[in-house]
Amino acid sequence: MDIKEIREILRLLERYGIQDFTLERGDDRIRVRKGGLTAEPSQVRYREIPVAEMPPQAPQAVSESPSPAQGGDQLAVADNQFLVTSPIVGTFYRAPSPESPSYVEVGSAVSKGAVLCIVEAMKIMNEIECEVNGKISTILVENAQPVEYGQPLFIVDLV
Amino acid sequence: MRVIRACRELGIRTVAVFSEADRDALHTRFADEGICIGPANPLHSYLNIPAVISAAEVSDCEAIHPGYGFLAENPEFAEICEASGITFIGPRSEHIKLMGNKIQARSLAERAGIPMPRGGVEGVTDPEEALQGAKQLGFPVIIKAAAGGGGRGIRVVHSEASFRTSFSMAQSEASSAFNNPEVYVEKFIESPRHVEIQIMADNDGNVVHFGERDCSIQRRYQKLIEEAPSPAVNEELRKQLGEAAVKLTREAGYVNAGTVEFLVDGNGDFFFMEMNTRIQVEHPVTEMVTGVDLVKEQIRISAGRPLGIKQEDVRIQGHAIECRINAEDPVDHRPSPGTISFYYAPGGPGIRVDSAAFESYYITPHYDSMIAKLIAHGRDREEALARMERALEEFVIEGVKTTIPLHQRILGTMKFRKGEYGTDFLESLKK
Repeated sequence: MDIKEIREILRLLERYGIQDFTLERGDDRIRVRKGGLTAEPSQVRYREIPVAEMPPQAPQAVSESPSPAQGGDQLAVADNQFLVTSPIVGTFYRAPSPESPSYVEVGSAVSKGAVLCIVEAMKIMNEIECEVNGKISTILVENAQPVEYGQPLFIVDLV
Repeated sequence: MRVIRACRELGIRTVAVFSEADRDALHTRFADEGICIGPANPLHSYLNIPAVISAAEVSDCEAIHPGYGFLAENPEFAEICEASGITFIGPRSEHIKLMGNKIQARSLAERAGIPMPRGGVEGVTDPEEALQGAKQLGFPVIIKAAAGGGGRGIRVVHSEASFRTSFSMAQSEASSAFNNPEVYVEKFIESPRHVEIQIMADNDGNVVHFGERDCSIQRRYQKLIEEAPSPAVNEELRKQLGEAAVKLTREAGYVNAGTVEFLVDGNGDFFFMEMNTRIQVEHPVTEMVTGVDLVKEQIRISAGRPLGIKQEDVRIQGHAIECRINAEDPVDHRPSPGTISFYYAPGGPGIRVDSAAFESYYITPHYDSMIAKLIAHGRDREEALARMERALEEFVIEGVKTTIPLHQRILGTMKFRKGEYGTDFLESLKK
């Protein structure tokens, strides 16, 4: 693994907003976590590589009003957690109607297929289902907040 | 970026929709807001009508500019915008539908008294019947898909022998590509020049044309180089083409920007081909010679304002050429996606660069290979040519292959320098 490859890997990780990445190839192993590189305790021989800089971003236009939170916001979930992201653009709702209780709260137990929230798009209420069994660890968006495709919504602790 | 720039100058806020593959794209960065609408696959993002409309709704957008390509000429999309209370910056959906059906467009042109290639073989599904019609027209003939356009679904037939198979194949191609097996046959005009007229119409019935563009340098019906004015068009022909285009526009009751495409043969006769109901890639050459900002006019018209210019005020000044810079191999045109490792865009007098590219930009394989448009303007064609050659030399794009060497080669040919070329020019050059 030479520095050119590593730079290319880092560029791709930055572009796709990946937080935690491991690549094993033969005797080489590289793990990248946003913020730096960690040495993995492992039986496999590995090389420690100095932190290369993330490619600088081209100038961003400053947004004055609150924009729908960018799905690109970097988020780290641990190995025993699952990130629920929005499959569509729309408005996020915690409950099926203003009078009803929220589908889930922090700490709620959830199973595969359980409805976590609604994302409303063009007057259609889309129920977002959970893909894993676990417990709600964090709720990342607020009720009635606009969300984009791929935006992180919940962190679920896996059981 | 083109639309964002026009909006900025008009004081209009912009929201960019982007797919995951375009997170780092220029338009995403420079718009006031950006909303991710789906994955790289255009079917699930840029062509995903609910996603686009939803994004407009959550960001309180009043209007959508569809650009060119993707949903720009999709009448359903325009209709849904209208139904959702969002202004579609472009013509009305019924006009997109009308001009999108090439057979209907032809009938409209006929009613408007506009010259067109001899045809009459329309609504015919039987190859035998079509062959009879073709024989009456005289070979060579051209078979086109009714729901096609933009150079797709076209077959040229030179002799009776190959007609039946070509006709049937054209029908199945039309069916699979456009969901509509309808085809029609026209007399094929040999070595024509592709000359198109830019029109603009407002809601008050004012229609203006901004002169012509010559787009004959094409590869497989994809334009590569465009120029305004056309070296083959004199004042008289320009007037005729312009009047024909305006007539068609009025006849249809068309509003906003549009382009009427003609074929011009060796005798200076012209024939209607089709009308494009969107702002086109090559609009900058018209902007350079007329001084009009066409995108701003589009926005103004969509906002209900009248056209800011009258026909008598339109002046063609100087000459402009545009080269489409694609991330492709300049010889075999294979797409060359990848990361741009070094980028330097040309500048200086008379040079305009409309580009989505920058250094460290990753050109994805998911979309069109065009990454930049290089436009040169001069006080006459010679100066425009000299500026374009100079600019092509200055333009450095490393890390991917581009069509810059091909443009340099074309501009170096005697024929191009003399302005003597037709739509078969590039094919013969490559032989």
